[in-house]
This record gives sequence, structure tokens and C-alpha cells, in this order.
Amino acid sequence: MALYSRPRTTRLLVVSLVMLSLLTITVDYRGGQTGPLETIGKGALSVVGALQGAVSRVSRPIGNFFTGLAHVGSLRAENDRLKQELRQVQVHAKEVTTLTRQVAELEKLLKLEHRLSLRRTVTATVIGASVSNFEWTVNLDKGSADRIKVDMPVISGDGLVGHVVTVAPHVSVVQLIIDPDSAVAGRLSSSGETGLVIGQRNHPLTMDLVNPDANVAANETVVTAGYQSGLYPPDIAIGFVSHIYTRPGSLTKTIELTPAVDFSALEVVAVILRS
Amino acid sequence: MRRVVLWTVVVLTALVLQSTVFAQISLGGTKPDLVYLVTIVLAFLEGPSSGAVAGFAGGMVEDFLLNLPKGITALTLTLVGYTVGTIRQFVVSPSPLLPVVVVGTATTAGILFNQIVAFLLGQLHVGAGEVVRVALLTGLYNSVLTPILFPVIRRVAETSRAKKVFRW
Repeated sequence: MALYSRPRTTRLLVVSLVMLSLLTITVDYRGGQTGPLETIGKGALSVVGALQGAVSRVSRPIGNFFTGLAHVGSLRAENDRLKQELRQVQVHAKEVTTLTRQVAELEKLLKLEHRLSLRRTVTATVIGASVSNFEWTVNLDKGSADRIKVDMPVISGDGLVGHVVTVAPHVSVVQLIIDPDSAVAGRLSSSGETGLVIGQRNHPLTMDLVNPDANVAANETVVTAGYQSGLYPPDIAIGFVSHIYTRPGSLTKTIELTPAVDFSALEVVAVILRS
Repeated sequence: MRRVVLWTVVVLTALVLQSTVFAQISLGGTKPDLVYLVTIVLAFLEGPSSGAVAGFAGGMVEDFLLNLPKGITALTLTLVGYTVGTIRQFVVSPSPLLPVVVVGTATTAGILFNQIVAFLLGQLHVGAGEVVRVALLTGLYNSVLTPILFPVIRRVAETSRAKKVFRW
């Protein structure tokens, strides 16, 4: 074993590596989002993203197989229920098509601005999570090649997932709304009162700055407020009210929310494309 | 050259595994940090200079996948690799538990140091209690994985070791 090494050369090596690290931190800290290091970052993301895609393609079916084994009984019941629901949705979809056409005709008739715009989305699969325990992000298997850009909102069938923070050609990184760095403008669906929904990692989300006189019902849905210049379109479900309290000495109410999306089982999401 | 290629493969495998498979099997909401584990085990086997170089390279790659100022993890792992390698030279213990303890302790210490640097740069978004909890859990998870991964890394270290390194 080569445990013995000359101390002086080792010390010199370590000091230069530490200096190099400090230099990188400084350059990146001052360069911000447009620094030269961002390009290398995108390269690293592309490589790791491709590998993550390959691994999750293999590991996910295996994981699903084992979870499936444990739930064979309930799966059959779920299958029946889903078939029924699908039939209902198909009937509903036909009605919606008719209604959409009628609305479009009426809008044209009344010379209204086209408001009922169906959102254009790109469907993507989650291929991996962040490598860190201090960031709540997921990687998607689509990137700038599929017209995804930074700051585009990401949703799933259940509600709001987050927004895109980094894009490489075939991979993109989405910051989840449970990240402590994430803040979303939310609106209580019944009273219309607004507040700021902040991520609390694995704990329930908190909604701050709510008017203390607002009437809040238990289990009420909180949706995105959708301000004109905001990141997120309006009326996407964020979560459900689970706990309401007023901090002593605080002028506003704080509400705890259970996220609408189950972030531990995120698989397929949709990125909303906007110019 | 062969050495560089081999270690690149090891670090990439570590990064991919911790963000896919191990992200699904988390311990109290925490995943292991395999790049720390690889650095520590390598420093343990090969000494301070190899530990520092491997830590710097692995940390740099991990940094480029994070939303933090790049270089923080590289700095942490350079120091972790050097420290573990140096201390190892003075520890003579045949106990097979030694690597498990070293990996656990060094991972926890490294993550705490890493988060202190992030805090100094104004990049810490979680509370101190949470940082300590995550550091301890990651250390625990890494030491649990050590008995499985230590022989694998030792195998790679032995095949990749240049002939010249034998200095006695």
C-alpha cells in the first residue's frame, strides 16, 4: 500500500487544490447565472442526465414490480375503478370538445379576447433527483431541444410541481415547490384571499401573509394566484389546508398545506410552454 | 490515463446511483452521499495525496450538478480526503469496523463543513437543526453502505494503482 508519501509535496498539492476551489467559488459567485462555468455545468448535467435516464429506465420497472407484488389484490380493484373513471372521462371529454367549440364561436361573436387557451405542454418523465440532500429538485428527460426554457411552470395530474431552473439540450432541472428556496403566490379557492406558499422540505408547505380576517375552511384547496407577471398560470392546485394558526405577535395568519402532488412518487409531469 | 478513466467511471456511477436508486430508498428522507464515501475510502486506502485529488475531482463534478456556487464541495472533499489520508497514517488497527467508523464520522464532518461554507456565502436555506440531522443521517447511511462498497472500491484501487506507487 502506498500509505507513505512525502509530506511536503502532499501539502503543496493540497494547498493548490484548496486555492483552486476557492478561486472557482469566487469566479462562480461573482459570475452568477451567465458565468463561463454555467456551460460546463450544462455539459455535466447532460452526461449525468443521460446516465440517470438509462438507470431509471431499468430500476423503475424493477421497483414497480416489487411494489406491485405487495399490492396485487388492491391493483385489481384499482384497475376496475380506473376503467370506470376512464369511461366517464371519455364521455366528459366529448362534452368539453363541444363546449370549447361553442365558447370559441361565442367569443368570436362577441369579439372577446381568446381566453380559454388550452395550455400547450410537453410531457416529460422524471429520471432522477438532486445529488444533494439540501436541494429538492428533479431531473426531467426533456430539455431545450423540446422547447423547454428556464422559469417554465411544471405540473402533474394532481397539481403544481415547480418550475424549471436549468436546461441542457436533453435534460432539465425542476425546482420543486417543497424546496425551502421556492415561494409561490397562492389563493384560497373559497375566499379568494392570497398568500405566499413556501416550501418546507418533507414537512407540510406553509402559506404566509394571509389576511387575519380571512375565513379558511379545513381541507380547502389552495390554487396558484397567477399574477400578471408571475411565473405560474392561475388556478393550478398547490395543496390542501391542514392546519391554521396565528403566530403570537404576528399580523397575519399562517396556514399549513398538504401538497396536492405526492413528491415521493413523481413519475410523469407536464412542462407548460410559454413564450 | 487508465487510472483517470477508472475513477471517472466510479465517481459518475456514485453520482447516478445516489440520485436515482438511493433517492428512492431514503433513510428518514435522506439519501447517502456516495461521492463522499468514495473519497473517504480512497483516502483511507491510498493516502492523503490521492485522497485530496480524488476529493477535488469528485467534488467538482458534484458541484456542477448543484445550484450552489461551484467549488464548495470540491473544497470540502479536498480537505476531507487529505485529513482522512493523514490520520490514517497514524492509526494502526486491524479492526474491520475501522472503515465503517471513519466513513460515518468523516461524512458527517464533511457535510457540516460544506454547509458552513454555504452559510458563509449566504446560500443556506434550511435551519441549523435540519443541517445537523441530515449530516448525521447521511453519515449513518454511508457507514451502513461501507461494508458493501468498501471491497468494490478497494478492488478498483488495486487494479488502477500505477506500478510506480510502490515506494519501498
